[in-house]
Amino acid sequence: MTQLPMFKAFSTLLRRDLLLAFRHRGEMANPLMFFVLVVSLFPLALGPDSRTLQPLAPGIIWVAALLASLLSLEGMFRSDFDDGALELMLLSPQPAPLLVLAKVIAHWLVTGLPLIALAPLLGVLLHLPAQAMPALLITLLLGTPVLSLVGAIGVALTVSIRRGGLLLSLLILPLYVPVLIFAAGAVGDAAHGLQVGAHFMILGAMLVLALSLAPIATGAALRISIG
Amino acid sequence: MWLFFHKLGSPKHFYQLAGRMIPWFAWACALLMIAGLIGGLVLAPPDYQQGDSFRIMYLHVPSAWMSLFIYVTMAVSSAIALIWKMKMADIIAACSAPIGASFTFLALVSGSLWGKPMWGTYWVWDARLTSELILLFLYLGYMGLLVAIEDRRNAARAGAVLALVGVVNVPIIHYSVQWWNTLHQGPTVTKFGQPSIAASMLIPLLLMGLAFTLFYMTMVLIRARTAVLTQERRSQWVRELIEHHE
Amino acid sequence: MTRRQRRMVLVLVLIGGVGIAAALTLEAFRNNLLYFISPSEVVAGKAPPGRAFRLGGMVEKGSVKRAKGSLKVQFVLTDFAHSVPVVYSGILPDLFREGQGVVTSGHMGPHGVFVATEVLAKHDAKYMPPEVADALKQAKRTTTSQVGAKP
Repeated sequence: MTQLPMFKAFSTLLRRDLLLAFRHRGEMANPLMFFVLVVSLFPLALGPDSRTLQPLAPGIIWVAALLASLLSLEGMFRSDFDDGALELMLLSPQPAPLLVLAKVIAHWLVTGLPLIALAPLLGVLLHLPAQAMPALLITLLLGTPVLSLVGAIGVALTVSIRRGGLLLSLLILPLYVPVLIFAAGAVGDAAHGLQVGAHFMILGAMLVLALSLAPIATGAALRISIG
Repeated sequence: MWLFFHKLGSPKHFYQLAGRMIPWFAWACALLMIAGLIGGLVLAPPDYQQGDSFRIMYLHVPSAWMSLFIYVTMAVSSAIALIWKMKMADIIAACSAPIGASFTFLALVSGSLWGKPMWGTYWVWDARLTSELILLFLYLGYMGLLVAIEDRRNAARAGAVLALVGVVNVPIIHYSVQWWNTLHQGPTVTKFGQPSIAASMLIPLLLMGLAFTLFYMTMVLIRARTAVLTQERRSQWVRELIEHHE
Repeated sequence: MTRRQRRMVLVLVLIGGVGIAAALTLEAFRNNLLYFISPSEVVAGKAPPGRAFRLGGMVEKGSVKRAKGSLKVQFVLTDFAHSVPVVYSGILPDLFREGQGVVTSGHMGPHGVFVATEVLAKHDAKYMPPEVADALKQAKRTTTSQVGAKP
């Protein structure tokens, strides 16, 4: 085998997943609606005072993004598992981590990216200062792929379990803690005008680590789930 | 050496060997624990600042050590199980989780009881307590996964992957929580963070640590023996064992 | 690609990923942006000019002055070697007291006054800055009597 089929398999799978997602646009919108709704619940619960909301804004937006990402994760391998496509993918001579990576990237493009596009709007709703907006976007850009990559491991482990959703959150949320700490911390610091370059580097380190380790673990987990 | 591992890997030999080891571990554990408790609760002087309430340390600190130690043990035996397909390693990992979760819970409860006289409140988002709490979630997730997958072999292998993923994350979580905590509350100087602890206080602590380790070993062997019997219930030697017993 | 080659690529990706991640983390900590700086460092001119940063220290006893009819507060932060005056306008945390450690964020204003936008109090005696811990230790060394038994 040469190099070409491997990358061709990667791009074919990526395109297939994107196409499938666009055919089900309604499902794509659900996590986004969830994201917006959860964030807009907070002013209702805490009161409309901008002095209360402003310091909480980075944390609220990040927790909501985290939950929305968790909610959308479940579907990542579900339909492929149900119709047997996943089994065929793993039986193919292509390396499993590469295929997993294609699926995760497709998933992030249809769920993570729109989330990032919506975030500044929610920032405005919560009176996040304008100087923190770039930090919010950069942390989401670096952080949400980590959420998808790490989440994929949990989804792969639970895909064969009926109603694995609750278990999935138990498995995955503790692993999200570092991303949450550094991302929300960076946005909060940026709102105070502090330098946040170091935070970005740490998030970048997490992304690189997740990119190189998570697909392997996900591949192994899928093999086990399929049995 | 290899023969020893091979034998350890076979359920039958493990069952017999564990049966012989348990009494030794149990007695050593009991002796060390009595010595540690007397040393810690009676002989050690009260702390110059915390008075007698520091003595909860003899429960709290070894529990916290064990919570980490058991998680690492789980990850190591998971790796062995995945690489060399050793049956017993799976069983050890699965049997360790509830013990580890109990120690984590004990460390949390004793830590918050210690917090009441120290900080005036049962819970503070102290770096160690917070990472201990997340560790408890990791344990519970592992146990939840094992219960949820019906096929026992698949469950064990899925659990092994999760334990390995977890062990990569534990240091990251620990350091991020620590950093988050220092950022929010300034650098913390905990009295026992420094090695400046008097020998009369330290020795009982180490004894307790050793006793807790032996306690874990005893418990995990007892649990693993039971698990072996359940898993091998259809094999010849287990039937013979039961018939012999009757 | 053969199986062996594929495994090699996998291992290389792993080593590369872990290496890059470690390098980024080290770089982040080398930048020293994660912690706050002490009054002594401010006096020595180590504060980033024109930029916001965190300043940590003890609130000097008797230095807190509140302006009547507004939320403006003045106090002096010290690390027992040097001290920096701080102005802040806003609600102080409950745990803010004289003689307590606090961390503030803000920037240097004119005349060496630190203009804080946020003040965080530390929990209590268990969270002492190292200087205080040292001072306590010295007090313990010089006096043979017990230093207060209450936490």
